[in-house]
Amino acid sequence: MAEIVLQQLTKRFGDTLAVQELTLRLEAGELVALLGPSGCGKTTTLRMVAGFETPTEGRVLLGDRDVTDEPPERRNCGMVFQNYALFPHLTVEQNVAFGLEMRRLGRADVRRRVAEILDRVGLRGLGQRYPRQLSGGQQQRTALARALIINPAVLLLDEPLANLDAKLREEMRFYIRSLQREFSITTLYVTHDQAEALVLADRVAILMHGALEQYDPPEEVYHRPKSAAVAGFIGLTNLLPGRVRTFAGDRLVLDTAAGPIGARGGTALREGDEVLLSLRPEHLEIGDAAAPAAGRNRLRGTVRERTFLGSLIDFRVDVGHDIVLRVQGHVGTKERVGDPVIVSFDAATAWAVPRDGA
Amino acid sequence: MIRRGERQWMNLTVAVLYAFLLAPVVVVALAALNAGTYLRFPPQGLSFRWFVAFANSRTFTDSLRFSLELATIVTAAATVVGTMAALWVVRFAGRFRTTLRVLMIAPLAVPGILTGIALLIFFYGLGWQKTGLGGLVAGHMLICVPYVFLITTAVLIRFDRTLEEAARNLGAGPFQTFWRVTLPLIKGGIISGAVFAFVTSYDEFNISLLLSGVGSTPLPIELFDYLRFSFDPTAAVAGTISIAMALVVVLITQKLVGLESLYFGGG
Amino acid sequence: MASLQRGHRAAGRHLLIAPALATLVVLFVLPYLNLFMISLLTPSHQAPYLHVFTLENYLGLARDLLTWEVIGRTLWLGAVTTVICLAVSYPLAYHLARASHRLRGVLMIMVISPLLVGVLIRTYGWMILLQDTGLVNQFVNALGLRSLPLMYNTTGILIGLVHVFIPFMVLAIAGTIQSIDPALEFASRSLGAGAWRTFWRVVFPLSMPGVVAGTTLVFVLAISSYVIPSLLGGFTVLTVPLLVVRTVTELFNWPGGSAFAIIFFVVSLVVIWSYLRAMGRASRAVG
Repeated sequence: MAEIVLQQLTKRFGDTLAVQELTLRLEAGELVALLGPSGCGKTTTLRMVAGFETPTEGRVLLGDRDVTDEPPERRNCGMVFQNYALFPHLTVEQNVAFGLEMRRLGRADVRRRVAEILDRVGLRGLGQRYPRQLSGGQQQRTALARALIINPAVLLLDEPLANLDAKLREEMRFYIRSLQREFSITTLYVTHDQAEALVLADRVAILMHGALEQYDPPEEVYHRPKSAAVAGFIGLTNLLPGRVRTFAGDRLVLDTAAGPIGARGGTALREGDEVLLSLRPEHLEIGDAAAPAAGRNRLRGTVRERTFLGSLIDFRVDVGHDIVLRVQGHVGTKERVGDPVIVSFDAATAWAVPRDGA
Repeated sequence: MIRRGERQWMNLTVAVLYAFLLAPVVVVALAALNAGTYLRFPPQGLSFRWFVAFANSRTFTDSLRFSLELATIVTAAATVVGTMAALWVVRFAGRFRTTLRVLMIAPLAVPGILTGIALLIFFYGLGWQKTGLGGLVAGHMLICVPYVFLITTAVLIRFDRTLEEAARNLGAGPFQTFWRVTLPLIKGGIISGAVFAFVTSYDEFNISLLLSGVGSTPLPIELFDYLRFSFDPTAAVAGTISIAMALVVVLITQKLVGLESLYFGGG
Repeated sequence: MASLQRGHRAAGRHLLIAPALATLVVLFVLPYLNLFMISLLTPSHQAPYLHVFTLENYLGLARDLLTWEVIGRTLWLGAVTTVICLAVSYPLAYHLARASHRLRGVLMIMVISPLLVGVLIRTYGWMILLQDTGLVNQFVNALGLRSLPLMYNTTGILIGLVHVFIPFMVLAIAGTIQSIDPALEFASRSLGAGAWRTFWRVVFPLSMPGVVAGTTLVFVLAISSYVIPSLLGGFTVLTVPLLVVRTVTELFNWPGGSAFAIIFFVVSLVVIWSYLRAMGRASRAVG
């Protein structure tokens, strides 16, 4: 069990900058999700940690070893590939035993440990099968077993659940998490699925266009995104342009097209700053004009669309000035299209992020 | 897209064309088993007399043995050289990849007769006059290596590199990875290439025509000389051997690699 | 795997291409260069050649009408073979490409086996079939007709050439057809085009890369053939390969034979190059 430290990791492919000066530290035993849209550089980063890509600049440290110049076979990371990369010409047992054979363990030892871990991951009795004879979930677990059996210092997962159907994906998510906790391995988990990242990770590192946007526990990332890009990427949100009128600590008053709004924001914001206000649909309440509410922001508007989503109802409310807010209400909400409504929300749930140049 | 009535026309046309394609081959096999000297319809009866005649002919059996020997040597060498070249071109060639691909296949694009002449004159110029088996091996290598190269490249391109990455990740060095993961998975391609090379060398005529000499005459050349003047079906026996060999090779390749890897011309 | 290449015996891996490169250079490039050089030397009766520079080999050949007659005939044979071979092979290629997976395996075996049997054996088969007393004429006679002269002439050569190269043409075209989305043909039919028009307007144009590759390949092979013109033509029809071999092995005129071979080589390259240019332009016009 070791820490992973990435120092100023940079990777350039020809003219393209895939990863820009990424500095990240994973503490021993924690599971960090490397999250971002396709092409953001997360897989490239993982491959640099594993040793399949050489960084253009920067260092990779596993434990207190600088492994930047070490070949993959000497890094002692366990890796689970997106397509599992199970050796088709070897049985499940032979696949799982491969890493131990490379470490020259005695045959009896190998056999014993393989049997143990197959048991552990629920593949008992399937040892003689070939990968093509296994289901997707079984192949996944074989890949996990193969990576874990070598007692790696660090576990690397490259979108391991991408090829599974939705239901299996949810099951396997929890399964991987519990395995990881049990083995207490420092884990770097690459995914583009934010729900997955939020559920599994101790901390989430959000990568966009090769740069680290935010590195925080899931709740922080969700409720207090550091930039508009992160706010837009994680979960659903409404983004309202505004300007900081006053600030006191993290409390702000913003000037927006819809009027002044009380909100919260990062302590770096100053008077006059251009911001985007992130309003998550689940924090917005929709009610009729007569309902009072104290200490809350209120916006007047008209319902434009109403969609039944099963456990929720999704509204689009036009609050004037070209602003249409997406609001979610519980099933009993009786407002209909065309009704005048008041959208209200607590200042504490409105979060302002700096408006980027883009 | 063919509809039902049209399908029948197509099937008929195709059947006729396949008959045309396979007719000479079938005819040779029939001639070898024919009791009479000339193949007549209706056939005169089955007999193995021509097989016996073939086995009794010193010239034919000697050249058969020579051809097999030659093909074996060429196959062994071409497989090694071609596979190594394929590995390099697919993985390490970088910007030279297209040039090298063209170069490796070039010997197949020039007329065999010309190559044979060029080699004959070249060897003479080097002072090597009785080139015998060595000269033939050299000439055959030129046309057999490209086949091994083509088939092995096709297999290598399809190969999933993440398997090698997984092996490296688990602790295998580059050579171990090649030996335990890559080679077992591409050996089907290598074997197909080898088998193709064998048959190519065995059947090769044009280059052999110019490089063969006394005591080193491959079977096709022997047959050619024979056929210019005689006509009895002893030659057909050689044909049936070739046919049997061809079928074996095709079946092996289909099993190991799938014959579709032989599409050339895009697609 | 970039990091697996850098610094790990980088020079060593380039040894992989060394044997193939050596084979090519020593047995292919050098001999052909040598051939060119020899074509510039003087023939002699005592030795294969004299080390005396001369352009006479080329000039003499260029002046001789026979040279151009033979080259022209060979190119003509190649062209006719290619066209007929294309016509015969296309249906086979289409049928193969659109066949079900299992059937395709069988068909591939039927297409490729003749290739592996060898030119000589297949030509022998044709000899049995096409002779005056051969199977075809036995059938013709049985119908009360006189025997057809199918061998020892151009007809026999054409039959043999077309036949031998069918597998090459089929393989070249089938791959391309297989990559044409069948939905395109359905779309064409649903828009009112019959089978023929769908073929001409949709399938054939889209299969052009394969057609170009196949025709080029077959043309090159046809003009280079020795066995078929000699056995099925009985040496009555003189093509370049026959003449070159005769010049070198029977007349022992190495410089002359080399010069002739090189003239032919260059002429064919020009023909093929022009063909490919024209095809390239045509396909760009189609878009």
